[in-house]
Amino acid sequence: MRLLNKLLVTGGLVVSTGPLCFMAAAQDYVDLEAEAAAREAAGMSAPQDPYGAQPAQAYPVTTYGVDSSAAGPAGSGAYSAAAPVAGAAAGSGGSGLGNLFLQVQQLQQEVMRLNGKVEEQAHELRQLKEQSLQRYMDLDKRLSEGGASTAPGGAATAAPAPAPAVPTADAAGSGGAEQPGEKAAYDAAYALVVGRQFDSAVQAFQQFLEDFPDGRYAPNAYYWLGELYLVVQPPALENARQAFALLVNQYPEHAKTADALYKLGKVQYMKGNREKARSYLDLVIQQYASSNPAVVKLARDFIADNNL
Amino acid sequence: MKRLLVVLFALPLALGALAARAQLTIEITEGVDNPTPIAVVPFAWQGPGVAPEDMAAVIDGDFARSGLFAPVDRADMLGRPSSEQEVFYRDWRAIDTDYLLIGRASVSEGQMRVEYELFNVLRQTRVLRGGHLGPASEARMLAHRVADDVYEHIRGIRGAFATRLLYVSVTRVPGGKDYFRLTLADSDGARPIVLLESREPILSPTWSPDGREIAYVSFESSRPAIYRQELATGRREQLTSFKGLNGSPAWSPDGNTLAMVLSKDGSPDIYLMDLASKRLTRVTTHYAIDTEPTWMPDGRSLLFTSDRGGKPQIYRYDLRSRNVERVTFEGTYNARARIAQDGRNMVVVHQQDDRFHIALHDLKTGRLYVLTSTELDESPSIAPNGSMVLYATKHSGRGILAAVSVEGGFKFRLPAREGDVREPAWSPYMTR
Repeated sequence: MRLLNKLLVTGGLVVSTGPLCFMAAAQDYVDLEAEAAAREAAGMSAPQDPYGAQPAQAYPVTTYGVDSSAAGPAGSGAYSAAAPVAGAAAGSGGSGLGNLFLQVQQLQQEVMRLNGKVEEQAHELRQLKEQSLQRYMDLDKRLSEGGASTAPGGAATAAPAPAPAVPTADAAGSGGAEQPGEKAAYDAAYALVVGRQFDSAVQAFQQFLEDFPDGRYAPNAYYWLGELYLVVQPPALENARQAFALLVNQYPEHAKTADALYKLGKVQYMKGNREKARSYLDLVIQQYASSNPAVVKLARDFIADNNL
Repeated sequence: MKRLLVVLFALPLALGALAARAQLTIEITEGVDNPTPIAVVPFAWQGPGVAPEDMAAVIDGDFARSGLFAPVDRADMLGRPSSEQEVFYRDWRAIDTDYLLIGRASVSEGQMRVEYELFNVLRQTRVLRGGHLGPASEARMLAHRVADDVYEHIRGIRGAFATRLLYVSVTRVPGGKDYFRLTLADSDGARPIVLLESREPILSPTWSPDGREIAYVSFESSRPAIYRQELATGRREQLTSFKGLNGSPAWSPDGNTLAMVLSKDGSPDIYLMDLASKRLTRVTTHYAIDTEPTWMPDGRSLLFTSDRGGKPQIYRYDLRSRNVERVTFEGTYNARARIAQDGRNMVVVHQQDDRFHIALHDLKTGRLYVLTSTELDESPSIAPNGSMVLYATKHSGRGILAAVSVEGGFKFRLPAREGDVREPAWSPYMTR
């Protein structure tokens, strides 16, 4: 069984190690005794080796599914260098034991592959279950609240009632026209915010923006993405900045733009950019002095509180 | 098999050079926007002769490597105060620094005392003062401790500057056997000490949880064996030398058990060795390859790499229930997990688009963030405060160490002056 050992171990090289640690691990895996045995075996007359019947198949790398190009130059080196080991015993006739060994090995590979599939599907199933429970709970919550959804964070947002025919959100400004299915998708994403499922909400809004990049609610989605990136763990300040900046740049007239500018100031402060923070907040104060006193007050307070 | 070996040994070393020693230097490659400016005034020396170490420079280096601070250039400083009376805030406001650190050092009977004061320039108040005492030969370590205190005050998490690194450096000898050196250095790469030199490979160095001992794999007896070694005394003990593989030692958080990979019973599996009795317990029995064990901080479960699902992925073994569950699902290759002390941030080697990167896997959300952009990254090791990940990579054909902040964004390299460096292991907090 030494050779069996050897083959498994050689397969292990490529599979269980990184590209560089490859060498390190390679040494880790080298069994010098087995090696000596392999050399002996190679030197022996071929028919005596029961495992040499189908060397190409006996070498497990191909069936491990890690393609040699992916394993990098070191990996391919191992592949080409290792092949002769199996090849050394090639040319021998087949034997019952050899075939049995091969079959066992093929079965192992197959079971491992299937095992992986089962694990992945179980994982996906678990995720789907969680998501559907989430959706049910959100729906249940909204229904029990009589269709009124509450927006956290004070600022006016799209506050959609379940399935009204007429859009009621504050998309007034410069969002595009509402597209079929858009409202439902937006509501679903927004429900995740209300349900404090921030990580899922990020995904939902990202998906929303992919599906409806020019939608009526796209500006709101950018705003929520920005907010969400600040509350997920760990906070993604740069992503938040980008989301707010996209809103400000694409929809300068939108009702949420003032809030987004204020948030940009805040994000810059959190990133440690005091000057940039100050200039965004100054911009808010300048531009919205008359139209949006609430956000102007927020900006002034922020400057005062943080000594900007 | 001989050819295989030759290729394996030669490839990663092909571009290495003959080197006497492998001192690491720091090159910051990617910064963050506007790190906090801090002025570290050269510490006043209150002893005979010249100060043995420029402590302020050591602290500057620590701050720069954290990526979160921007040390002020000394040439820009308008004064060199060493006590509170000498601090004029306008001098420091004028050069736009947020914080000011001053200090004094003195020596008596071989003991060095360092005292420091930290000022918030914007609020014009002293916010922290403290001191450290230690052997004069450990001046750099005292400076790192001051940096740790300041980091903790400003960032709210413990600093990890007064820690150490283990790594393996390889010097190629053309036409001969290579030199492998197990090296211990300060967290900034300074003061390298060779713990073990061998013409045979040295692999997988790792730390005991109290930072007093290390374990590693050495081929010095021409086959792999796991050793443990006491840092203070150099005393060492061979723990295993089984037929086949002896690899990947990993100390349990309570320090009593060593997890390892052995292939003595067939395919590589995870075993636990009770260090007092040397008794072995087999943990995994799968015919697939189970390797690279690492402990969860609570000591109740182990993470390991296995290809039992066809491709290498991270699995978790619960020591009480003996259940094995798969942890990573994103991508076709996730290996060599290391977990931060918070038990949540796990770093792995992750394959994406045929490249190997270091990725952060959030165990709570299951989300994976790729941290590095180099191609052949391996052997991640997390700082004890969870802020940075040290890893091995290739740069200009040489094996070097590099670091990236866990938030991403900040990166630096620690190339050795000569030779290849690999398998970094960041120490736990050193007992003070």
